[in-house]
Amino acid sequence: MSLRLVRIDDRLIHGQVVAGWLRVLGAQRIVIVDDPTSRDEFLREVLTLAAPQGVPVEVYDTASGAVRLIELAAAPEPVMVLTRSPRTILGLRRAGVPIEVVDVGGIGGGPGRSRLHKTISVSPDELRELHEIEQLGTRVVIQIVADDRPIPLAQLDSGN
Amino acid sequence: MFRKYAALGGCLTLVLLLSALLPATVLGAGSSVAAPAETHKITVSVWQAAAIAFGYYLANSPWLLGLAFFTLYRPLVAGFFVGLILGDPAQGTLIGAAINIPYLGFISAGGNLPADAALAGWVGTTIALVNGFDPAKAVTIAFGLGLVGTIIFYSRMALDSVFAHWADARAEKADIRGVAFMNVVPGQLFLLVASFVPVFLFALNGSAYVQDVLDRLPLWTVSGLVIAGGVLPAIGIALNMRFIFRGSAIPYFFIGFILMTATHGALSLVVIAAIGLCLAYLHLNFVRPAVAAPALTTEPAPAATPAAATPATPAAPKQAIRLTRGDLVKSWALWTFFAHANYSYERLQGTGFAHAMTPIIKRLYTTEDEIRAALKRHLVFFNTENNFGNVVHGTVIAMEEQRANGAAIDDDAINSVKSGLMGPMAGIGDTLSQSTITPILLALGIGIAGGTASGTAVPTFAGATGNPLGAIIYMVLISIVIVAIGYTAWMQGYHRGRSFVTEILKSGTIDRVLIGAGVLGNMVLGALAATYVVVNLAPTVTIAGAQMNLQAAVIDPLFPGALALGLVVLTWWLLKRRVSPLALLTAYLVISIIAAYPFFGPGQQNAGDYSYQACTSSLLHQYSPCGAPPVVTPQP
Repeated sequence: MSLRLVRIDDRLIHGQVVAGWLRVLGAQRIVIVDDPTSRDEFLREVLTLAAPQGVPVEVYDTASGAVRLIELAAAPEPVMVLTRSPRTILGLRRAGVPIEVVDVGGIGGGPGRSRLHKTISVSPDELRELHEIEQLGTRVVIQIVADDRPIPLAQLDSGN
Repeated sequence: MFRKYAALGGCLTLVLLLSALLPATVLGAGSSVAAPAETHKITVSVWQAAAIAFGYYLANSPWLLGLAFFTLYRPLVAGFFVGLILGDPAQGTLIGAAINIPYLGFISAGGNLPADAALAGWVGTTIALVNGFDPAKAVTIAFGLGLVGTIIFYSRMALDSVFAHWADARAEKADIRGVAFMNVVPGQLFLLVASFVPVFLFALNGSAYVQDVLDRLPLWTVSGLVIAGGVLPAIGIALNMRFIFRGSAIPYFFIGFILMTATHGALSLVVIAAIGLCLAYLHLNFVRPAVAAPALTTEPAPAATPAAATPATPAAPKQAIRLTRGDLVKSWALWTFFAHANYSYERLQGTGFAHAMTPIIKRLYTTEDEIRAALKRHLVFFNTENNFGNVVHGTVIAMEEQRANGAAIDDDAINSVKSGLMGPMAGIGDTLSQSTITPILLALGIGIAGGTASGTAVPTFAGATGNPLGAIIYMVLISIVIVAIGYTAWMQGYHRGRSFVTEILKSGTIDRVLIGAGVLGNMVLGALAATYVVVNLAPTVTIAGAQMNLQAAVIDPLFPGALALGLVVLTWWLLKRRVSPLALLTAYLVISIIAAYPFFGPGQQNAGDYSYQACTSSLLHQYSPCGAPPVVTPQP
């Protein structure tokens, strides 16, 4: 399994990811799957430039991301996958991407969203999607930084 | 996971407290009544306690141009000020420096706080100064405090979410000043109470209590705490190594270490840093180009036409409303001060962003509807690194200005720039400020602090006199660097917008800074490891009929400091293998205390007993390796 970390984080690449996870995992490639971001040329460029030198960043929409990830999952190179929402993961999973564990690392709060754990807030839709992901056989854990212990989703929300 | 940290901190404290109830003899100790004659004692007046408590509040507050996190928050600086308050700035700085080392790899990103370094610094130094502890003992006690302290931070993060909703309500009324008020006043009032009260009480009465607990502990456990004080710095240094101990920069760490040990600590850290700067220049110009070339070509995705459609340089519609330079500076200042004034789980810097936008909104929008919409637009979740990340604000302000002048920029456009840029800019900003510049300057300051007045480092804590210049130099340097980065990013973001972002990223300037800093950082860190990581084997071996200390006779002559260096590299390797820092901390603490048990003899007879007998009785010993046995050798 070379998809070292599949993470939901609405800030995609940021301090916790670059200074923390990337170093700890030794990932050599970052794949970002997000439909709006893939359409925004400027953001695509910024994201590819924002990762540390020597770590290539690829940005895809869900459909082509799934194809690419199936390919990468079979290769030995360690890869880190970043998405902004549970929905994207659901799309990837349904397209056959082998994802063992999804890490929910950061989703901001706002109107209509409730706090799940620390800096992670979800809308009712997103919460339902997270449980759907689990039903597809992918474990969902909450882990903000690498030094935290991963918390299973069921421990924070039973899904009923 | 604050529960985990708090629980562990609580346990450590509890164990210490409970062990005080046990009669010392149960633990098999020698008599501990023979008063520990550790230097002078200080009593803390009510005013001094209040000053210390207020200092701790300031360290977490926004009032110092937002620089408190980079200055007062750090134990090195806290130690200096506590020393100043209690009348011994040199000793305070020395203690603060020692307490700071385990936190060299300290990073707080995205509302995550691994430990409360400020509490460790402010309270730890107080306890140590009042009781006359040597710095090594302070390190261990302070680290426990740091774990407990996260409770204050996390309770504040939770409560600030409520205040964010109060700000929402003010925004609904298009009340600009109300939003600003909610970003600062309620959160800071809570923080003032939550941080002042416990620290005040502890500063006033806590030190004697800690001393009392330690007095009841068997001597060897207390000596174990001191041993841990020499071992725990390895964790802080290794945590920092995770960021810079990589690739072609690795040898510089060893150069720094060896320079220090080979000269028996005679070199000042400033000299090491100067050598590091020279090597960084050579490395950038002669070593790295060959390495960097292929990395640049691995840029995927069809390259965008650079800076074509930047809204910062639009085919300008008639500029009816212009922002003044004053508006920009005011907005920057508000952000710099108050970005973290109401840091909350739900929005992180969201209310801080809205607060910073208030001068802009005031200037650009007049109708109540426009103001309400603008306030609400900027009260949403936001988080970036608040110095380099300021390019986001500059860019957004430029967009707001165009919007107010009729350009077709909708909420989505502004939101997508904010939410799209805040992450990547934080990634770069945190790498620059938190994991590169701060630890390197701290390492430099700590190195200077732990030396003599002439700046010469002293290889162990024993007998060192602190140098307040270490704290002062660090404070000045970090403040200049941080403010310069933040102001430049803000203004460039406004004037050049997106093209600035892509240009600075493409220019490779940041990479050059990071790589150069990596070389310098490794040198300084290596030198620091040589100075502050202390491992002293106690057991003796018999060589040619004579009893010799294993380390003094065999290891150190071959490679001075080999054990300390080995410990640091081992710790780095374990962290790389994803052993948690907290697990390591616990393990090192337990091992240090066990290793202090007098297996091979009666051990220390009283606190001042540093005889050869006492020294060689355990596995590890507190100070320099036990020297030669006393004159009368057992030769027949």
